[in-house]
Amino acid sequence: MEQPVQTETWKARSLEELVRILHRIFAEDKISVEEVQALMESYESNPEEWLQYAKFDQYRYTRNLVDSGNGKFNLMILCWGEGHGSSIHDHTDSHCFMKILQGNLKETLFEWPEKKGNDEMTKKSERVLRENQCAYINDSIGLHRVENISHTESAVSLHLYSPPFDSCNTFDQRTGHKHKVKMTFYSQFGERTLC
Amino acid sequence: LPAGLSQWFPALEVLDVSGTGLAELGAELLALPRLHTLLAKNNRLGGPGSLPKGLRQAPLGHSLRVLNLSGNRFAEVPPALLGLRGLRSLSLGGNRLHGIPPDIQELRSLEFLYLGGNFITSIPPELANLPSLSYLVLCDNKIQSIPPQLAQLHSLRSLSLHNNLLTYLPREILNLVHLEELSLRGNPLVVRFVRDLTYNPPSLQELAGRTIKTRNVPYTPSDLPENLVRYLSLASNCPNPKCGGVYFDSCVRQIKFVDFCGKYRLPLMHYLCSPECSSPCSSASQSSTSQSESDSEDEASVAARRMQKVLLG
Repeated sequence: MEQPVQTETWKARSLEELVRILHRIFAEDKISVEEVQALMESYESNPEEWLQYAKFDQYRYTRNLVDSGNGKFNLMILCWGEGHGSSIHDHTDSHCFMKILQGNLKETLFEWPEKKGNDEMTKKSERVLRENQCAYINDSIGLHRVENISHTESAVSLHLYSPPFDSCNTFDQRTGHKHKVKMTFYSQFGERTLC
Repeated sequence: LPAGLSQWFPALEVLDVSGTGLAELGAELLALPRLHTLLAKNNRLGGPGSLPKGLRQAPLGHSLRVLNLSGNRFAEVPPALLGLRGLRSLSLGGNRLHGIPPDIQELRSLEFLYLGGNFITSIPPELANLPSLSYLVLCDNKIQSIPPQLAQLHSLRSLSLHNNLLTYLPREILNLVHLEELSLRGNPLVVRFVRDLTYNPPSLQELAGRTIKTRNVPYTPSDLPENLVRYLSLASNCPNPKCGGVYFDSCVRQIKFVDFCGKYRLPLMHYLCSPECSSPCSSASQSSTSQSESDSEDEASVAARRMQKVLLG
């Protein structure tokens, strides 16, 4: 993604419309991060539209594929039970947009660890994202951990990754050592996938 | 809650009174024989009488499977609910609990226990007597140590311990073969090799007991006073598989690092029979802190490979 050639101000009035506009945007050669982020934020979360994708697992957060973007992007819904969180991870050179559909998620940003390091990773910042807010990250910005810190409410988020990827690195906060992991979908297009 | 609840809705199965400001759940609930799920999050429950008396014997006491009391003001686990023998899922997240009562073991059917976000400082070993427990959340508390008995929770699939005050874990934790999720971040886990120097030398009784056991000195109950016969029966085998020794009360606590292929180091507490008894590579660990240091092929490294997947997944 480079400097915008033309930036539209989109308003997605439903999840279906959001997906349609995303297909149009990603059909172009040049795509603007700001445009996509604004589009994602413009969609006002309506649970009726996404409840079919929101499959929770009691033990950990789930990834539920909504749309595979003609290979240009993956749109998925993540479901976080109380206390569920991710490891610190990178984004395999892809762009990552994360919009809160329900509840709140805490995002903690970390610096990339030194190549031969053995030290505690450095926290850059942290924030709590509220409903309908959309965050953006890529590898040049840093690494992050996402967690639902609520002990009473579950959380649901909408993620867009471009290009799509199915593996990334997880990092040990105490040493900075990384470990490649494969990511899987708990459900695809509303159907539970068993693996 | 309205007084006629069980008469108007006798078939009620799910009741959600979350966020209604309730300070007590009254006796109106007791006669609901089909109620299996009661959600009462984010209320003002916690004082005496928050739960109705006679819960254990009431129809509700037999039918209830899921109880969510998160986001209330409980300073202790209400004794009234310990009689819910059919309860499968209990959440007391985000309350003001300072501990867990040993009688928690009475919740024989419990599979899911959420206690995150309280002020809990220790875990009673009786928690390990819950045979079906598969999901245990203890994150965001003030827990300093985990009792080794927790390794008896054979059904445990997910254990959440993040944001506590743990410096090490008992080595028995490697025995949890079904564990798929384990969160440890936000604990002051020791990262450098630590040897507990406060070793209390064994008593003469202990030394004599060790000799009898390791040399197989024969004795019969009529040879010794009853208390010594009992004492000898309490010998523990040194966990170091290369040592054939035993110990009674006096042992060394050693933190040993189980190294997951140089990528993750987990400090596990080992009990050894004496400072001289140590696994072959621990002297190597003392002198080097390189990440390529790894366990010798004892049972710990097999379990370690399994745990790596769990910790970094």
